[in-house]
Amino acid sequence: MIEISDLRAGYGSINILWDLSLAIPEGKLTCIIGPNGAGKTTLLRAVMGLVPVTQGRITLNGRALSGTKTWEMAQEGIVMIPEGRLIFRDMTVEENLIMGAFPKKQRKRTRANLERVYGLFPRLLERRTQVAGSLSGGESQMLAMGRGLMAEPKVILLDEPSLGLAPVIVQEIFTILGQLKAEGNTIVLVEQNTHMAVKVADQVHLMQTGRVILSQEADKVDLDQLHDLYFAR
Amino acid sequence: MTALILQSLYSGLLSGGSYALIALGLALVFGTMKIINLAHGEMVLLSAYMAYVMENRLAVNPLLATPLALVVACLIAVVVYFLVSRISRNRELNSLILTFGIGIILTNAALIIWSADIHSTSAPGFQEPVVLGPLYSMRSELGFFVASMVLVAALWWWLSRSWYGRAVRAVSSNRDAAKLMGINPHRTEVVSFVVAGILASVAGVAIYSTGVIQPALGASLTTKAFIITVLAGIGSIPGVLVGAVLIGVVEALTVTLYSSAIQELTGMALFLLVLFVLPNGLFGAARRRG
Repeated sequence: MIEISDLRAGYGSINILWDLSLAIPEGKLTCIIGPNGAGKTTLLRAVMGLVPVTQGRITLNGRALSGTKTWEMAQEGIVMIPEGRLIFRDMTVEENLIMGAFPKKQRKRTRANLERVYGLFPRLLERRTQVAGSLSGGESQMLAMGRGLMAEPKVILLDEPSLGLAPVIVQEIFTILGQLKAEGNTIVLVEQNTHMAVKVADQVHLMQTGRVILSQEADKVDLDQLHDLYFAR
Repeated sequence: MTALILQSLYSGLLSGGSYALIALGLALVFGTMKIINLAHGEMVLLSAYMAYVMENRLAVNPLLATPLALVVACLIAVVVYFLVSRISRNRELNSLILTFGIGIILTNAALIIWSADIHSTSAPGFQEPVVLGPLYSMRSELGFFVASMVLVAALWWWLSRSWYGRAVRAVSSNRDAAKLMGINPHRTEVVSFVVAGILASVAGVAIYSTGVIQPALGASLTTKAFIITVLAGIGSIPGVLVGAVLIGVVEALTVTLYSSAIQELTGMALFLLVLFVLPNGLFGAARRRG
């Protein structure tokens, strides 16, 4: 369980998150939706320590995460899967995946995890010796996901996996999300594709201008009401 | 005439070996830290002087100076790293001034300690000719070229096969993503500096063993290394090798066909020409960035 309370974070003098509080239950898929610029990605980056936190606290199972460096998070079992642009473009597909197993205790299971990821994303197996910079948008996203899974995370923070992708590929990615959820992982999904997201989520939070303005169980969500709030109609 | 040109190509190729070692170190540090270490040539320079000191003061074979050169070069590398990492604001630009200053200090230290005289080795066996068909070289030139290639191969292996070598490439490619993978970027920065120091120390001993040294050499080596990395399009080992040999060959041809006085100038002219025609470097065209 991750608990975020009164979180304030931003870039330099520009503050993005305003006293945000959120509980992320274990083994559930928590979905955070909201328009561009609401601070969804910043929230994930703040949890990972990529954005400085100026106020408030983040705890994992009651233990504060504030002192933990970004590069120590993978050891803690928390992995952020950034959007597909953040792959290692100069390295091959397989090298990208191998980097996902960098935490010391993961290294000896690299082989087994590679096979698992290739099983989930056969496309990556076809492309394994190709330079990652030459992949399509969908393939890049799959690579980012596969690379994150190489660390066998308990908590997965996913940043807009469907961004800019064709519907067929979005479908494929959400199927795999469903699988990961069924395996008992804790997942935080940041999305703009509300239809797809609400279908797979347990809990839905709507963010706007750095705050959570609505929290609901996914099965109680009324998409029309959500969209009214989303577009501030 | 053909024989002369052939010979220049061969000599240029041989001197390209140590140029490649120097340029690869510069490129590694640029990759992880995004800074250009303008004191890089001075690490090579001081390594070369260690070989000189060993031969002239202690009367031992300059090759045996390699461990000492290694310590000196790595020490300078760590000090430069430490100082650069203290810069908190506008590091790309401020590090240029800082490392340029360190370079001036080291060059002048060499000047004070060893004077402006030129030095070269007189160790037995180094200048003996090795004849390969129509091609001639000194034994030390050929030996150090082979050693350089072995080192480059080792570097390639390290960068593509070892966890830390791959981490260095990952940080160079995308720093934030590398952090998310559990890589401590500061550690890869130190590692890249130390590896650059190792390469520089061998290059330094090679340069002393195959040619002449004097305190101003450091700055000119930095410039050459910079030209080579830009020619190569930063980040490719084969590119750096080709760039290094190209500079070596152009210099050798200039000496043969015209005069050693403008040797440095032709390298620069080539650099400007390539930048003018291929702004991404010789190997940059295929490496699009998105």
